[in-house]
Amino acid sequence: MFLARIDGTVVPAAKHDTLEGCRFLVAQRLEADGSTGPEPLVLIDWMGAANGSTVLVSTDGDIARERYGNTTPARMVVAGIVDQVQIPQHNAGRSA
Amino acid sequence: MRLGIVLGHVTLSPAVPELLGKTLVVLEPVTMKNLVAKNGLGGGKSLVAVDALGAAKGQMVAFTEGTEAANPYWPNRVPVDAYCTLIVDSITTGNPQNQEAEVAK
Repeated sequence: MFLARIDGTVVPAAKHDTLEGCRFLVAQRLEADGSTGPEPLVLIDWMGAANGSTVLVSTDGDIARERYGNTTPARMVVAGIVDQVQIPQHNAGRSA
Repeated sequence: MRLGIVLGHVTLSPAVPELLGKTLVVLEPVTMKNLVAKNGLGGGKSLVAVDALGAAKGQMVAFTEGTEAANPYWPNRVPVDAYCTLIVDSITTGNPQNQEAEVAK
């Protein structure tokens, strides 16, 4: 699991049959120092994460399989919307 | 899932039976810099993925990596670790008002 910031939305032209009606978001992985990863990620979201919010991403496909069936290729899902992150040793308590 | 640009296709002869009949595409992962620049370029280290959606050269796709990439063939076991899950029509990043990234189809 890791934290990511929601940066936008994806409109699919075609998608796997199991993912009909899914919401796809563009996100950037967040490091502890607040920097972002070099490549954007596409997440599946049913929590209603807003643009700019920080979310917890799970890379385990089990929760997606439970929801979309055994044949779904879905993997990265928004597992929660972050209320607050506190990393005392970095002296940087950030709020989402 | 990461985003990738379809650079081309791969055919195998011979191949393990589990891969026969599957379309393989060469993908170049898209960096945030190129996504925001809307230049249709990738920038990452290329890889090969299975594509069952019919993505054409130059199109942007989102691909799943890892064991989940083999899920569409469940309960069969296939040596697939990257799978094109969706073809991108458009992506909006940053301020939705002025950044509508229309991806080349």
